[in-house]
This record gives sequence, structure tokens and C-alpha cells, in this order.
Amino acid sequence: MTEKFVITICDGTTCINHGGREIQTVLQEQLRRNSLSDKARINLSGCLGMCQKGPIMVVNPGYTIYGSVQVEDVPEIVQKHLLKGKEVARLVIQEDHLYNCFLRIFGDSSFFGRQMRISLRNCGIIDPEKCDDYLALRGYEALAKVITDMSPAEVVEQVKKSGLRGRGGAGFPTGLKWEFSAREKSDRKYVICNADEGDPGAFMDRSAIEGDPHTILEGMAIGGYAIGADKGIVYIRAEYPLAIKRLTIAIEQATNEGVLGRNILGSDFSFDVELRLGAGAFVCGEETALIKSIEGGRGLPRPRPPYPSVSGLFGKPTLINNVETWANIPVIILDGADWFSSIGTETSKGTKVFALAGKVVNTGLIEVPMGTTLREIIYNIGGGITDGKKLKAIQTGGPSGGCLPASYVDTPVDYESLAQAGSIMGSGGMIVVDEDSCMVDIAKFFLEFTQDESCGKCTPCREGTRRMFEILTRITEGNGQPGDIEKLERLGRMIQKASLCGLGQSAPNPVLSTIKNFRQEYEEHIHQKKCHAKVCAGLITYQITEKCTGCGACKKICPVTAISGSPKKLHVIDSEKCIRCGLCYDTCKFSAIEKV
Amino acid sequence: MVTPLDVIKKKRAEAVSRIISKNFLATKRVYVGMATCEIAAGSDEVMKVFQDAVGKGRLTDVYLSQKGCAGRCNLEPTVEVVEAGKNPVRYGKINKERAKEIVERHLRNGEVISEWIID
Repeated sequence: MTEKFVITICDGTTCINHGGREIQTVLQEQLRRNSLSDKARINLSGCLGMCQKGPIMVVNPGYTIYGSVQVEDVPEIVQKHLLKGKEVARLVIQEDHLYNCFLRIFGDSSFFGRQMRISLRNCGIIDPEKCDDYLALRGYEALAKVITDMSPAEVVEQVKKSGLRGRGGAGFPTGLKWEFSAREKSDRKYVICNADEGDPGAFMDRSAIEGDPHTILEGMAIGGYAIGADKGIVYIRAEYPLAIKRLTIAIEQATNEGVLGRNILGSDFSFDVELRLGAGAFVCGEETALIKSIEGGRGLPRPRPPYPSVSGLFGKPTLINNVETWANIPVIILDGADWFSSIGTETSKGTKVFALAGKVVNTGLIEVPMGTTLREIIYNIGGGITDGKKLKAIQTGGPSGGCLPASYVDTPVDYESLAQAGSIMGSGGMIVVDEDSCMVDIAKFFLEFTQDESCGKCTPCREGTRRMFEILTRITEGNGQPGDIEKLERLGRMIQKASLCGLGQSAPNPVLSTIKNFRQEYEEHIHQKKCHAKVCAGLITYQITEKCTGCGACKKICPVTAISGSPKKLHVIDSEKCIRCGLCYDTCKFSAIEKV
Repeated sequence: MVTPLDVIKKKRAEAVSRIISKNFLATKRVYVGMATCEIAAGSDEVMKVFQDAVGKGRLTDVYLSQKGCAGRCNLEPTVEVVEAGKNPVRYGKINKERAKEIVERHLRNGEVISEWIID
């Protein structure tokens, strides 16, 4: 990666339709013919958000953007730009979207170039503790613009037009939410940022706040202006000390700069933001429980309606959105609702951030346009499955989501497609599962989490998830009974229908979706007492094979002295005594211990 | 009449000149990832190496800044070296020792250390 030039060609659908793929072929040919193959590298990117001017080609260094590039233009670009260092002026286009700054530093990488950073546009390129860095990248300009040029109703209209939907998971149209709170008459209204990120393995919100805290504040202030609120609250979990520190710094800086506080930028609009720390209860991510917690009560959900937009914090109209949703707002205002809604699919606009984890080469935080397929995410950005193993399933949406089998890998990521396939978008957890994982065990993992986090207010969730967890536990321990699967299905459906809030309504999803897609694995566990993936401790035994050199390492580490054998002789495991902790398996240097 | 939009544009111009006055236009800009995840992987020690190098005058023509997490979880701590007219260089899995080498080899002698580059 020490080439002189990196030429990024947009490989998004629109650019391909305009002939982008031919451009790639011709460019490759031209580079070879001019002996530039070592000096220039071609990098394919995902949609660059300039579809109307496609095919797009970006030449780095210098970040020169060429638009509407035709096959016959390629030799000219190579001759002039790459060989003589002069831009081909007639093809250069000026596109200055907010996300371009990110691409200037990261656009030539195959990991980042395939992504589109709208809400995370500043994460990784600015110093999050310096307000100047944010101001320099048009920070708070969106807020100034709405105060100067737009009426509150126009702001709501823009957000509606953008097609933005709630990024916390449920996907409710953000603009509608704003409209509902805006039309309420009240002496006091509130704006809340839900930063109570609780899904195991999810860190989208934490990274967003730690990387670019001012964006969230700006988004909230715009929300306040639109609905007529002068008070904003960020509800953030106490487990995020650095995020809290950076938000606190940001609030102080913003107040000093006059972009928060009384009479913002000399106008008559005032808006304050303060922090409320959550103690880490998962249920407090549910909006009514969150509000209860801010009020000083125990974090318990309540039935809706009335929705918070009508009667929320202290009974006042309250606009509550997720961190990622807020981070999109300044972009919608500055780059326009039309541009924003040109990205994504028919029903889901813009981009989505995912915490990509599990058995994938490049684990990481990614942001892709809606409609990107799971295949592109896992193979192009994620770099494929670790150790060349086979993909088995994709878990999206964390403990509220589901598991899609590998055959669904071409599903585009948007709210409807994922729901149709049997999972949910959720807040953005994405766990890649390979052939070595047991689906029953995964379902049990998530249920263990939700049954523990159930607040206990309603019976279906409190008792139901507990019973489901017990059934799953006995299945994984080898004590499954015929009829257990049906029992799980029946219980799951009841909990979904009868629970009070989103926690319970979605808690059975990991179990129901794995039963639907991997029923055979459940049956094997129950009837043949076998765990195909050799994960469930109760269903496997450890054996020592001929490869054993008699080194004694396993004997030494076994906590229950189940291993016997003399030095340099084959050792044996007493399976009666063995507690299947797997320590010997991990310790053996000769792969002489097998799971059967 | 001065509108909020005018005010913010003035603020931006001031912010830009403040950033420039802090040596932003130096030949090389160095960014060190300093989010919770990066720090857990040891980036605070890495940052300290660069800070010391600047403080002790080993590095003069360099603008040093922290940054949030860009998202390369498995390759952290990450460091970027951005130089005008050249493609940005992104390093992954940087520890104290590697940071010292980046100071000497890349920042002082202009040698890009290709083994540590991440795509």
C-alpha cells in the first residue's frame, strides 16, 4: 500500500448500471499498457452517494472526483492525471457532502471504502475533545441554518421527507415522531437522547459518542427547535465513563461557544442539555422505562398509549430518539432531505451502523447504505469467515433479534427485508456464526440474558422467559424431552403476544428463529442426545487419542483428577469423573484430545 | 442584521485559524485512536510515545491529535499518518515499541513501514 495513486471506482448499483464495471476493465488495461500497475491501485467502493453523476472515479492523493466517466475518458485520465499529474478539468466534479471528509482519509481502503459514513462521518478523523475540530467540519452549521432560515414546521417537514427511521431498532418514522411532539401544546417539552445501549456485543452508540459527541448535541438542539423544547437530556449508561466524559466536555464547550444554552447564536431560541446516568438495566433502553428512570423512579415500562410524544417525561410531550438517529439530523439539514432519501432502499433510507462481530476476519464498526446485502457486509467488508470455515448463520438485532441461516446471505439489509426473513434490524448488532457454533447454545445465551434482565413487572416476560431458559438448559445438558420444541414454540408465541414492552415481546425471537431455521439441531439434542457442533458440554465426552505423548500436561491441569496415565504413556480420561470443562482440550499441545 | 448562520460561519473561520495556529499545516499529521476500545488495547501508551517525542523535540514538523474509533476492532490500537500529496498511511496493532519505530523511521526518516499497514 505504498503506491503513488489509489483510484477508487464506485461499485454501487447505479454506477454499475451506468457502465462502472467497463470502466474498471478499461482502467486495468490502461494501467498495464502504461506500466503503471505497480504505481497505481484500483479500489472498489460501495455507493459514494453521487449516483446522479455516475460512474464516479476518485483519484488519490488529492481526492479528485471525476463524474460521468465514460470508457473513452479513461486513457485521458491515465495520460494526464497519472502520468503528468494534471487533473482532467472537464470531468472534475465538486461534491462536498459532509461524509466526504471521512473518505479523504479512509476512502482508499477496502474496509472503509465499501462503507458510507453518514452518522459516523467524523468518527476517527477529528479530536472528539476539541470543539474547533467539529466547528471546522461545518459543525453547528445545521443548527444555525434551521434557526436562521427555517420554521419549526419546515424542519419537521425536512425530517419527514428524508425518510429517516428510528435507528434504535423498531424503525418508526422519525419525522412522524417529531410531528406528534411538535403539535402538542404544552408549557414544557423535552428532548431525550437514548444512549442506553444494552445489547450484548453492541457498541455503536458508545463509539459514536466517543468519536463525535457534538453531532449528537447538535441533532438534539435541532429537535428541540423543531418541537419547541428548551431542555434536552442524554440518558447514558454509567458503564461508559469515557463517553460520559467526552459528552460532558462537549456540553461545556458548546455552551461556551453559544451553540447551547440561552439565546443560541444570538437568536431567541434556548436549549440546554444535561446527562442522566443509567445503572445498566437493559429494560431502561425501552422508552417508557427510560423516562421513569430519569424521573427518579425504578426503571419499569408502562403500557402505551399515551406515547411519550404526547405524555412523556414528567407527563410532558417528549421527543425521544436513539444516538444514531440524532447523528443523522445535521446531515439531513445540510445535505438535504432529497439527497438523504436518494440513499438506501424504497422503505429504508440512509445508512445503518453495525457492530460486526463473531467469526469474521475484520470485526469492526461499519456503516453501510440500507440495501447492502449481508454477503457484501460479511465477505467484502468483513473479509470472510475466520480460518476459512463455512458460514452457518447470521444473528442480527442482538437478544431481540433472530438468526438467519447462511442461505439468506443475499438478503439486503433494511427493516422490511430482515423482518421478512425472520430477524430484525435491531440497533445494529451483527454476529457472524460459523459451522463450529451450536444454535441451541446461541439461543440459550441470549435467553439467559433477557430472562436475567426482565424487569419482572409483567408475568409473561418474567415467568415465561425463565421457563424457556430452563427448557433450553435441560436440552443442552442432555435432558431434553420429546415435546420440548413445541413447548418452546408455544411459550415463545405467548410471551411475544402478552408481554408489556419490547423486551418481552422480542425476547423469544432468538429461540423461535433458531427453531424455525435449525429445527434439526434441536431434535438431535433432544432425541439423539448429540450436539453436532460439539459445544454443549453435557452432550460431549473427551477422549485421548494415540497422538498422546504422555507429557502429563492434561493430567496436571485437570481440576477433578479425571486423567490418569504414567509419563510417556498414553493417558486416559475417566468420563464418569470428567466435568467437561475443556481445560485438557485447550492445554494439549499435540491435539491428542478429541471431543466426541 | 447578523444572523445565527453568519455567527457560526465566523466561528468556523476562527476555529480553523486556531487549528492552523496549532501547527495543523505541518508536513505530517499523526492521529492516534483514543476510544475506550483503543485504550483497552493499549493506545494510551502509544499516544504517550508520540507526545514525548513532540515534547522532547524529536518531532517538530508534526501535528499530533487523538481521534475516536474508526471501527477496526481487531487491529487496534490504530495510528494514521497523513501527509499532503501522499496517500494516508494507516497502521494497525501498534504498541509502545512500534510507536517508537514509527517516530524514528517514518516520521523522522520518511520510511513507510509496510508490514504494519492495514488496508
